[in-house]
Amino acid sequence: MLPWKKSVLTASLLTLALSATACVGGGEEATAGGSDCPWEPDESITATVRIGYQKIPNGDVVVKDQKILESCAPNATITWSNFASGGDVVQAFGGKSLDLGLVGSSPATKALSAPLNLPVSVVWIHDVIGAAESLVVRDGAATDIAGLKRKTIATPFGSTAHFSLLQAISDAGEDAADYKLVNAEPEQIAPAWTRGDIDASWVWDPTLSELKKDKGTVILTSEDTAKAGKPTFDVGIADNTFVEKNPDFLALWAKAQDHAIAQIADDPDKAAESVAVEVGVTTDEAKAQFDGFVYLSAAEQAGPDYLGGKLGKDLFATAQFLLTQDGIAAVGPESAYADGVDASAAEAASK
Amino acid sequence: MRRRPRLLGLSWLPAVVTAVGVLVLWTVVAASDWIQPAYLAPSPLEVWDAFVRANTYHPVGGGVDRVVRGEENYFLWEHLVVSLRRIAIGLVLAILVGVPLGLLMGTVESVRRVAGPYLDFLRSIPPLAYMGFLVAWFGIYDTSKIWLLFLAAFPPIALATINGVRGVREDQVNAVLSLGASRRQAVTSVVLPATTPDILSGIRVAVGFAWTTVVAAELVNGLPGIGGLAYLSGTQNKIALSVACILVIGLTAIALDFVIRLIERTLAPWRGKA
Repeated sequence: MLPWKKSVLTASLLTLALSATACVGGGEEATAGGSDCPWEPDESITATVRIGYQKIPNGDVVVKDQKILESCAPNATITWSNFASGGDVVQAFGGKSLDLGLVGSSPATKALSAPLNLPVSVVWIHDVIGAAESLVVRDGAATDIAGLKRKTIATPFGSTAHFSLLQAISDAGEDAADYKLVNAEPEQIAPAWTRGDIDASWVWDPTLSELKKDKGTVILTSEDTAKAGKPTFDVGIADNTFVEKNPDFLALWAKAQDHAIAQIADDPDKAAESVAVEVGVTTDEAKAQFDGFVYLSAAEQAGPDYLGGKLGKDLFATAQFLLTQDGIAAVGPESAYADGVDASAAEAASK
Repeated sequence: MRRRPRLLGLSWLPAVVTAVGVLVLWTVVAASDWIQPAYLAPSPLEVWDAFVRANTYHPVGGGVDRVVRGEENYFLWEHLVVSLRRIAIGLVLAILVGVPLGLLMGTVESVRRVAGPYLDFLRSIPPLAYMGFLVAWFGIYDTSKIWLLFLAAFPPIALATINGVRGVREDQVNAVLSLGASRRQAVTSVVLPATTPDILSGIRVAVGFAWTTVVAAELVNGLPGIGGLAYLSGTQNKIALSVACILVIGLTAIALDFVIRLIERTLAPWRGKA
């Protein structure tokens, strides 16, 4: 074979391989949640929206699975990207790659604090974290938080669970320095637990359920810390420029989220099916997980206890916690966190 | 082409026995209580089931008749193909830059002296170290991943090309020059063909490097993508699917290497003979 023929052969092989790979179109068209817009679609919305979501059982995955945004704004271009943690979502906002995203209240506070100071606002509360994040104790090692002194507690550092744990310790009048706190990701916690490396963990599902099945007892939940005045949330953050330019889309988005939250209460089977598909659990597990969260309607969110007022203070408290964890460089003025909350979308959706 | 002795008799037997042995041992370990909790040790059969589920339309289960497509709305082979496409684009860019740069650095001494340290510097950094700032510059979508793969793949290709150029026998170049060839002709008809085997070795190293990098790069917004799926399934405690992904990743790496060796044998059949 002549040399040039060989190169032609190789080149055409490469081209073939490349074009073969180009035909993966993805499964957008197949097996949708099969729903139309629950109200009159708005064809005038032509926004391009990039949404970052996480696999958490709340209204966001219901909106995604039932394609509410896609069917209610048929002319908008919507991209959903999955993230494993709020930290990744914040990083994506830093890279100007997202317009809307779901994060815990800790990462949201990080985004609003130095050194990031990202131009984002909290526009929605997807859920208030309740028993979904709990302190589970191994083999009856303790019955209250004081009994865990000098024992090992694992939690992902910087997370909402870590925040709740430290709040619970200080609310009990104890000093966190008396506890052996270890940083571990949820998927590493279960094996460590079984080996007996840790005595307790403040963590979320699916790891939480595994630990409960494996000789674990829940002694405190994030609901308890919320009642003690230090709630944790999963919130929706939005890029400020996007909010300014696309009020129509944002109002529609909030309306869709409100619809999903109503569905969790009124038709939990349908909502659980969407959660099962998106989060990768069974519908029974999904329904059980709903109990671990408090879901707020748009009207409740817009009120003074949440977006309409107190949330700014909660974020400020979270910032003070993150400062002690080296999570942020400095706590901003309290007004920075109050200004970082934008209730307009929730107000629009509650009308 | 080199003739290999034909596969006669029972020469394949040890490989098959080993494979069966590994599967049996795996099954025994999975069935035992050595590893707790039990979901951390899926059996070969469970891994196979996860693999099949991930490549078909299957019911979501748990009493719901909703049928979903593969995993995360893509079949497993599509996740794989998306990862391979990222590699292919990164690699083609790396070849387009690495080979000419290597030729230049190999033939022009001053270029080598200036650019050499930078190339060594780039080569010695683990590519994932750039990921944070690549995301800040190019966003979380494919652009940043392709940049990463390009940065991972082009130093080995450039270095291999330089080595190849320096290994070209000077008397061969002088021979064509004295026969009246131009400098350019000497490069295209003597240096480049003589360097081909080294370039191909460089590409082989680069592909291996790019493959491990892409799997790791897909930790952030990697869906669809085989690395992203492996990571996600781990966080969801779907260990059987994780193992299936790991096997696919490993087998694909071996297949890629095989393909490049095949190309090597076609393009540089004289290799290892002279």
